[in-house]
Amino acid sequence: MTKHFLCVPVMLSAVLALSSPGRAENPSPLESYRNLKYPPTRENSDRGWQERVQVEFDIVNSAELGALQAGLKDQSPFVRSIAARALGIRGDKDSAEALAELVKTDPEAMVRVRAVESLGLLKMQPAVIALAKKDKSDAVQWVARMAAGQLKSETDFREPVQKAYEAGIKPDKLGVARVGQPAPDFTALTSDGKPFKLSTVLGRKPILIYFAVFDG
Amino acid sequence: MHEQAQLRLKKDEVQKLGAEVFVVLAMDHYRTRVFKEENLVLSTFKNPFTGEPSLVFGTALSDPAGSASALYGVSRKYVRGEAWVENDPCWFVIDRKGTLTCAYPPNFSGANFYEKDIDHVLEELRKAAEE
Repeated sequence: MTKHFLCVPVMLSAVLALSSPGRAENPSPLESYRNLKYPPTRENSDRGWQERVQVEFDIVNSAELGALQAGLKDQSPFVRSIAARALGIRGDKDSAEALAELVKTDPEAMVRVRAVESLGLLKMQPAVIALAKKDKSDAVQWVARMAAGQLKSETDFREPVQKAYEAGIKPDKLGVARVGQPAPDFTALTSDGKPFKLSTVLGRKPILIYFAVFDG
Repeated sequence: MHEQAQLRLKKDEVQKLGAEVFVVLAMDHYRTRVFKEENLVLSTFKNPFTGEPSLVFGTALSDPAGSASALYGVSRKYVRGEAWVENDPCWFVIDRKGTLTCAYPPNFSGANFYEKDIDHVLEELRKAAEE
């Protein structure tokens, strides 16, 4: 009798695990990122970007803080990177020490970049940011210089980033700009942090827009 | 940055057309401000723009979550070398009616292509100004 009694919860757990669609059909945002069809490698630069955008929004907006903190120790450098980025944007000051540790010890520059970027948004660990300015990677040095500049300012650079993510993004709006069609409206911030809406100038004058990267 | 530097050389022409120029960066507004106000890239090696304090004359816009970039189909979010690449650079021309008339990714394949890029973009802008 006792033996059967003990077996019931085990059997129930097994049945529930098999019948529950939650885990298989609704993976956590970080799990989705880990299983991207086209991971964020250079070979995939032109494919799968829409999924990467959507999953990044999901991670920043809705991943559990505990999962993100655990993600800093994930085997995948891509997961460590996105977890570091999300924790900075979410303003999780409890993660500052773990982020600083990544800046100092992570073997992957792509992770150190995101970690130091987040320390800049959090305005924490100035000594580690200063150290990162001498990192062996140019990319880390570059981001560290930006983070050091953010530290000196009283402006909150993090909150507008979080708000921009919270505004969300609709899958059916990705890549909709088409030559010959009305230019899609968008919102952005001016370089001094003021809101800007393209529609305030659309249809009034010719417009030239360049979507840039920092060095190009 | 070269693209912005080349465009700045044609600033008078752009203004004659009555056009407005925007540069969108998928990053926070601090870094967008640095991009606008400081010549951090081209000041580090010898080129025609080495001594210039700033290279951008258009309005710099921060697109911190990359939403606008995704809308225009330029978002990428991948790792190149050691750094994250948020966007593929691309020019867009919009006419007086608000219609998108040109999408032009810069060539980047040679030292002189920046000039050719800007010449092409200005030609498209002239057409857009006539619409």
